[in-house]
Amino acid sequence: MEALIESVRLILSLDENLYEIIFLSLKVSAVALFISTLIGLPTAGLLSSTNFFGRKPIILIFNSMMALPPVFVGLLLYVIFSQSGIFGFMKILYTPTIMIIAQIIIIFPIIVSVSTEVLDSIFKEYEEFFDSFEVSVFRRVKTTLFDARFSLITCVLTGLGRALSEVGAIIIVGGNIVHYTRVMTTTIALETSRGNLTLAMALGIILIFISIFLNFLVLLIKTTTKNNSYD
Amino acid sequence: MINNKVSFKNVSLKLKNNFSLKNLSFSFSSLGISIIIGPNGSGKTLIAKLIRGIVKPDKGSIQLKEKKSRISYLSQKPTFLRRNVFNNLAYPMLINGFSELETNIRINHLLNFFDFSDKANLSARILSGGNKQFLSFIRSLVLDTEILILDEPCSNLDLKSNNRIENYLKSIKKKKKIIMVTHDLFQAMRLADEILIINDGRLIEISSRSDVLKSKEEFTQNFLTRNIS
Repeated sequence: MEALIESVRLILSLDENLYEIIFLSLKVSAVALFISTLIGLPTAGLLSSTNFFGRKPIILIFNSMMALPPVFVGLLLYVIFSQSGIFGFMKILYTPTIMIIAQIIIIFPIIVSVSTEVLDSIFKEYEEFFDSFEVSVFRRVKTTLFDARFSLITCVLTGLGRALSEVGAIIIVGGNIVHYTRVMTTTIALETSRGNLTLAMALGIILIFISIFLNFLVLLIKTTTKNNSYD
Repeated sequence: MINNKVSFKNVSLKLKNNFSLKNLSFSFSSLGISIIIGPNGSGKTLIAKLIRGIVKPDKGSIQLKEKKSRISYLSQKPTFLRRNVFNNLAYPMLINGFSELETNIRINHLLNFFDFSDKANLSARILSGGNKQFLSFIRSLVLDTEILILDEPCSNLDLKSNNRIENYLKSIKKKKKIIMVTHDLFQAMRLADEILIINDGRLIEISSRSDVLKSKEEFTQNFLTRNIS
């Protein structure tokens, strides 16, 4: 209880170190989410709107990758980007850049898989309409993505939630370096092991608030856009 | 005017459910209303989809005198985008390269003409079954194509809307080719210049309305007797 009160006090004191960690977490996750969404949604659109050979195995791979152990992703990136690895010359190990790459690898399949589910049902409904007006593949993808935009927000926020809560991969590739690669989850892990529960608890509370805020945002978007969705 | 805008040459197609169209060869007259009639599951919709190119034949060919983009198709089960009525009508025009101005003028004209303007901003998906059917009919007109393929355009409509569509089709039939699928023999008799009768994927006959009424084909006689009496 004492730790809890202390952690609330820490949050309210606007401690510079605490907010530095929070902002880095948000920055890394936001960039990873932006890139994953930018590539993930058109990929999902293409998987839903076309029926090319190998489509089902690709969907299966993405679905399987949703359960990819983050620690393994971290290990793989560590091997590839360490001094002796094939991309060692890039010298990005223990930087926020590789943390972003790790998060992209983790959340990209989630965004693709969940969005494909959403888009599949809409595309099946539109298919004959598209065929009857000879709509091009590009336009099919664009139309389906546009019409599903409100449902896709939930898919994207699922990815953001996953990115913010990630710890296994980024602790390996980021190294948890203070003032440089230390983010909320890695700090919680470190400070808990050190017995500094105040900081760990403060960050935990912030994470929970972010999670509640994201869910509130989804609810708000769904409610306010219900009239504009024409569903 | 070029004759026979739509011709089937030895067209065969087998579906997964084992239903098949069997070696169909015929030509529709170049203008006016051609009606495809036949019992349920005889292949009427499949012929309409083949003409529009939604389904491809296994064998044979369908020869069209118009580009496929100059054919409009109204599906038996209308599907609408998650957009309002106006944008659902505008979509086919915009993807076919019409400017926003041309699109607005055309859509507003059609909405006014069919007394649908008050629904322009409503979601197309929340309309009643009849209004959806009517909207689907309006959508088939937006591109002002030379060939109209209408699959059961009046199936959910009230008498007033039904008459409206029939009168409109009569008013444009001298300028366009209309191929319409219907199960309503009375409607076929009111509208058709030409009737194609199909049963179990086979062509029974294709001839003018008056010739169909005098037909000596056993199936045609039975079909007419069953459906008219």
